[in-house]
Amino acid sequence: MNTFLFFVLVALTTVMLVYLYRVVRGPTAFDRVLGLNGISTKAIILIVLLGTIFGRVDMFVDISTGYAILNLVGALAITKFLEERGERE
Amino acid sequence: MVGLGTVLILIGLFFLVVGSIGMLRLPDVFARTHALSLTDSLGALFTLVGLALYEGFNTNLLKILVVLGLIYLLNPVIAHATIRAAYRSGLRPGSGENA
Amino acid sequence: MRFVTAAVLFALWLSLSATLSPAHVAVGAIIAGLVAWVNPVLPHKRRLSWLAALAYGPWLFGRILKSGVHVSRLILHPSLPISPRLVSHRTRLTSDGELVVLGNSITLTPGTITVEVAPGQLVVHAIDEESTEDLVGGALEGKVADMFRSETSDS
Repeated sequence: MNTFLFFVLVALTTVMLVYLYRVVRGPTAFDRVLGLNGISTKAIILIVLLGTIFGRVDMFVDISTGYAILNLVGALAITKFLEERGERE
Repeated sequence: MVGLGTVLILIGLFFLVVGSIGMLRLPDVFARTHALSLTDSLGALFTLVGLALYEGFNTNLLKILVVLGLIYLLNPVIAHATIRAAYRSGLRPGSGENA
Repeated sequence: MRFVTAAVLFALWLSLSATLSPAHVAVGAIIAGLVAWVNPVLPHKRRLSWLAALAYGPWLFGRILKSGVHVSRLILHPSLPISPRLVSHRTRLTSDGELVVLGNSITLTPGTITVEVAPGQLVVHAIDEESTEDLVGGALEGKVADMFRSETSDS
């Protein structure tokens, strides 16, 4: 495996861990939604990166397209719900 | 082409790491959104274009540009929806909502 | 207008299928034409100026790069010199398309984010004073207004 791409893979996963800390710790519910959104953006990049490593970018890019669209639907549903309910821990 | 791709990926990684540091350091949910928009618009752009160039010019470049366009269209919508929900449920910036 | 829709859909099909075999291209053309034919054309009061739209992309990217470096410096600075504020901004743009492009551009630029949108009125959260100068100075608004000319004066 290409050493540079492996380094990028590890760095991306570490960045995602930081966002996971914000999801677990976050004082309000909106911090958690924000952290989840950040994680899914990194996951889109990660999927394209995995495609580059395995040499099948054409297949993995389709997966990340679907991931981006589903991420929008999920995030909009959660924020709509939180907006109706109000902030309560 | 590989060299240019490597440089672009490293620039993108820098913005991604800065965004995650901002996610940890900034005081409230409104300010943290700025860190997220930094990683979304600049980090994703440089990393994805770098990955596309790393492969060399072929049809994959077009497909990665489609994903990039989707990120640029959809992520501001999510950030705006989150921040509007926070604003409407009564949070205000700098009202002692600390980490 | 329907032709433009069909052309955009066909381009998206080509870039996602990534082959030029006759069967794929034919199926894509048929489906793109069918979708554009079935869906009704939305009523347009404004006309998009393609030249201004093409110039807008690189301009916005330059802005994003500049404010991205600025926000990175703020975050990495040891004493975290931010001064968050809510800015209420009155704008002369009222139609839906203009507001979508303006709000999306504001959110995409690091340092400013759209909180509330109403026709003629925006509430923007900014991370410090320097980030708001583009919006308050009216540069962004002028570019978006150039892109959407009203149909009566244009055609």
